[in-house]
Amino acid sequence: MALAKATGVDGQLFKRALLGSLSWLSANHEEVNRLNVFPVPDGDTGTNMLLTLQSAVEDVKESNAAEISKIAKLASHGSLMGARGNSGVILSQIFRGFARAVEGKSSLTPAELAGAFEEAANAAYRAVNKPTEGTILTVAREAGRAAATAASAADANVPRVIAAAAAGARAAVQKTPGQLPILRDAGVVDAGGFGLQLILEGMLKSVEETEAAIGSVAEPRAPVTPAAQVSLDLPEGGWGYCTEFLIEGSNLDLDLIRDQIEALGNSVLVVGEPELVKVHVHTDDPTRVINVAGGYGKLLKLNVGDMSTQHRRIIEDEGATAPRPTRPNGVGLVAVVAGRGLVDIFRGLGVDAIVEGGQTMNPSTQDMLTAIEAVPYDEVILLPNNGNVIAAARQVVGLTKKQVDLVETHSVPQGVSAVVAFRPEQPGADNLRAMKAEAERVQTIEVTHAVRDTRSNGLRVKKGDVIGLINDRLELAGDDYADVVKRALGKLGPNDYELVTVYRGEQASDAEMNQLETEIRSNYPSLEVEVQQGGQQHYPFILSVE
Amino acid sequence: MARSFAVVTDSTADLPDEWRTRYGIEVVPLKVLFGKETFRDRVDMSNEEFFRRLAASTTLPTTSAPSPGEFAEVYRRLAKDHDGCISIHIGAQLSATAEAARVGASSVAGFEVRVLDSETVSMPIAFLCRIAAECATLDDAVSAVSQRVAKTRVLALLDTLRYLEMGGRLTRAQAMIGTMLDLKPLLLVADREIKPVDRVRTRSRAITRMVEFFKKELPVEHVAVMHAQAPDEAADIASRLGQDLPNEEITLGQIGCVLGTHTGPRALGIVYLKK
Repeated sequence: MALAKATGVDGQLFKRALLGSLSWLSANHEEVNRLNVFPVPDGDTGTNMLLTLQSAVEDVKESNAAEISKIAKLASHGSLMGARGNSGVILSQIFRGFARAVEGKSSLTPAELAGAFEEAANAAYRAVNKPTEGTILTVAREAGRAAATAASAADANVPRVIAAAAAGARAAVQKTPGQLPILRDAGVVDAGGFGLQLILEGMLKSVEETEAAIGSVAEPRAPVTPAAQVSLDLPEGGWGYCTEFLIEGSNLDLDLIRDQIEALGNSVLVVGEPELVKVHVHTDDPTRVINVAGGYGKLLKLNVGDMSTQHRRIIEDEGATAPRPTRPNGVGLVAVVAGRGLVDIFRGLGVDAIVEGGQTMNPSTQDMLTAIEAVPYDEVILLPNNGNVIAAARQVVGLTKKQVDLVETHSVPQGVSAVVAFRPEQPGADNLRAMKAEAERVQTIEVTHAVRDTRSNGLRVKKGDVIGLINDRLELAGDDYADVVKRALGKLGPNDYELVTVYRGEQASDAEMNQLETEIRSNYPSLEVEVQQGGQQHYPFILSVE
Repeated sequence: MARSFAVVTDSTADLPDEWRTRYGIEVVPLKVLFGKETFRDRVDMSNEEFFRRLAASTTLPTTSAPSPGEFAEVYRRLAKDHDGCISIHIGAQLSATAEAARVGASSVAGFEVRVLDSETVSMPIAFLCRIAAECATLDDAVSAVSQRVAKTRVLALLDTLRYLEMGGRLTRAQAMIGTMLDLKPLLLVADREIKPVDRVRTRSRAITRMVEFFKKELPVEHVAVMHAQAPDEAADIASRLGQDLPNEEITLGQIGCVLGTHTGPRALGIVYLKK
C-alpha cells in the first residue's frame, strides 16, 4: 500500500476515503434529517444523501483500480444513478465535477486534490438553476477554498488538505443561518451542507486511520467535533437496509456471529455450516455489519437493499386483462405518486407506469429510469408531482436512449391536471405545451401538521399545528383542517374558481372529511366539491382548486 | 310546393318544429321507454318533460328505432302525392333506424325511396334535409346530400359520460375518461365514429376548449349550437362563434328525448358541416 503522504491520493486511497464517508454519514444521517427546516414532513435530506452516497460507493467497492480517475468515475456514475432529493442530486454533481477534474490522472498531489475539490463545487454551482447561498453549494465552495489554502502551504500533504476541507465545511455550515433567514428562524444549520461536512469528515477519518495503520506519525489536525453525536439513535420505525450475504471461511462460529450481528440490527438470520454461513439482517448501518462479518472470512453474494426502495414498486398494470391500444403518438407517461387512491387515479387517466414515492419517499433517479425503460414507448413524459422529486427527475433526462421530457409538476393536483390534458393522438411536443399550461392553471392547497416549531413566512407555528400550504408555500396555521382549508380558499379568492377536488389522505377520519366538505359548501356555495380517496400519507388533505 | 319528392327524416335530427312546415319535412319518431311506458320522441313527450323524468327516474330509459312497419306506413301515405322520397337518418353506427327505413321502403311497391345513412346525429341531419328540400329533383337531392355526409360534424360536450356509457355507445376507456375523476368528455362524431377529442375537469374550461376546437375547424357552413336544458350556455357559445362567422346564421337547437337519453342533461353541442 502506497504511503498517502508520499504519493498522494490514488484510486484505492480514494476508495477507502469514500467508504469512510459512507460509514460516517450513515452513522449521522438522522441528525441531518432533523435539521429539516420546513415544518412539513419531508425531513429526509440525510436519508437522501446517504442513499445517494451509498449508490456512489456501490461500484467503487468492487473495483481494485489503482487510478483515482477510474474510482472517481465509478463514484460519479453511481451517485448519478442513485441520486434522490435535491441534496442528493447536488451531491451527485459534486462527484461529477470531481471526476471531471481528475480525468486521466492516476494519483493526485495535495494541490491537485484541492483543485479537484474546488472544481467539484464549481460543477455543483453550474448544475443548479438559481444557486442559493447558505446551502450545500456554499459549503462545497468553502471546503474547496480551505483545501486550496492548505495545499499552498510549504508542508502541505493529503491529510492536511482533507482536514482543511472538512474544517472549511464545518465553518461554512455554522454560518448558514446568517445566510438563509429560513434557517435562522428555525434555529438550525443547513441540512445538506451539514451532510457534506460529514462526508468530508468521514474521508478524513479513514485517511487518518490509514496513516495510523501504516505507522506514520499522526499529523496535527483540526479537531473533529461533529455536531451530531447520535450514531446510535436509530430512527423510529426507520426503514433500514436489508443486508444479506454469505461468509465463506473455516470453523465459523455461528452463535458468535449471530450475537454480533444481532447487536447491529433486527430480523437477524444466521444459518449454515462452519464453512459457509448465510446472514440476513435489517440494519441501519450495513457498512458496520459488513466490516464485522468481513473479519470472519470472505463475503459472497453481498446484497444491501434499501428497504424504502424495495417498498416502492413499479406497479404492474393490474388491468392487464384488456391491453391498452397502442398510443398513436407513441408517447408514454410515467408519474411519481404515493397513496393507493392516487395511484388508481393516475392509472385511470392513462399513466403507463407509476413510481411510488413522494414527499418523504423521494424516488431515486434509478427508480424513475427503471420505470421509463419499462414503458413500451421511445418517448416518455415524466411527472414528478412533488417539488422534492423534480431535481432527481431532471437527472433522468439523458440517461436513457429514450426521449424523456419532464413536466415539472410540484404537486398531485398539478400532476392530475397535466395528465388530463394529455392527448394520445397529438404529437409529444404539443402535449408537453398543453400539459405544462394546464399544470400551471391549477392551485394546490396541502394540509398537514407541523413537525417542528418554526417561524416561516411571517407565521409562528408550533409543532403539531395544522398548517396549510398554498402552492408549496406555508400560508396558514390553525387548529383544525376545515378552518385552515376555509381560510386557504378565501385567500385564493373563491370567485375565480369553479371546482375543488379534495384528495383525502390516509389519516383523515370520516368526521373530518364531512366537516371539511360542509365547511367548503356552506362558505363557498358557488364552488363544486368533489371528494376522492387519495390515500396519501402525511397530508390528511390535498386540494385542487381550478 | 314545386318539388315532386318528399323529404323524410327521424326525430334524432332535432329538426326545429318550424322547419317541418317551412321545408315540408316528414319526421318519424324514435321511441323512449321508461320501464314499460313507451313514448314517441317529440310526439308524446316534450323535451322539458323528458329531462324532468330523466332526473327523477331511478332506472335509465332505453330507446328504440321506429319499426319498418311505421316507416312503410309513412312512405305509403307520401306515395299518394309524391313521385319519390329521400329518407335521411341517424348514422347506422348509432341506431338501427336507417335499416328499419330500408326494410320498410322495400315493402312499399311502386314508390321510389332513397334511404341515406347520414353517418351523424342531431341537427346536421336537419341541415341535410333542408339541403335536400331545396333541390329540384330527387336525384339532385340524393347527390347533394351524399356529397355532404362525410362533412357532417357533431362536437359534443357531455356533463357526464354516464348516460352514453349506460347506453353502450362508448366506454370510459374509449372516451379516455378514467374511472375515478369526474371528467367532462369532449367528443366528435365524424367518419362514422365517436372520437374523444378532449377531457376537461371543469365545465367552463370545457366550453372554452370546445369553442377553440371549433375555430380550428373553420371554414364551415350550416352551424347550430345544441343543448339539453342549458339554453343560456348555448346562447353564450353561439355568440362566441358568431364573432368568427359574421355571415353565418347560427341556429340554436334542442337535443331531443332519444338523443338526450344518451347524452344526459346539460349536454352541449356545436354541429356543422365542413366546407
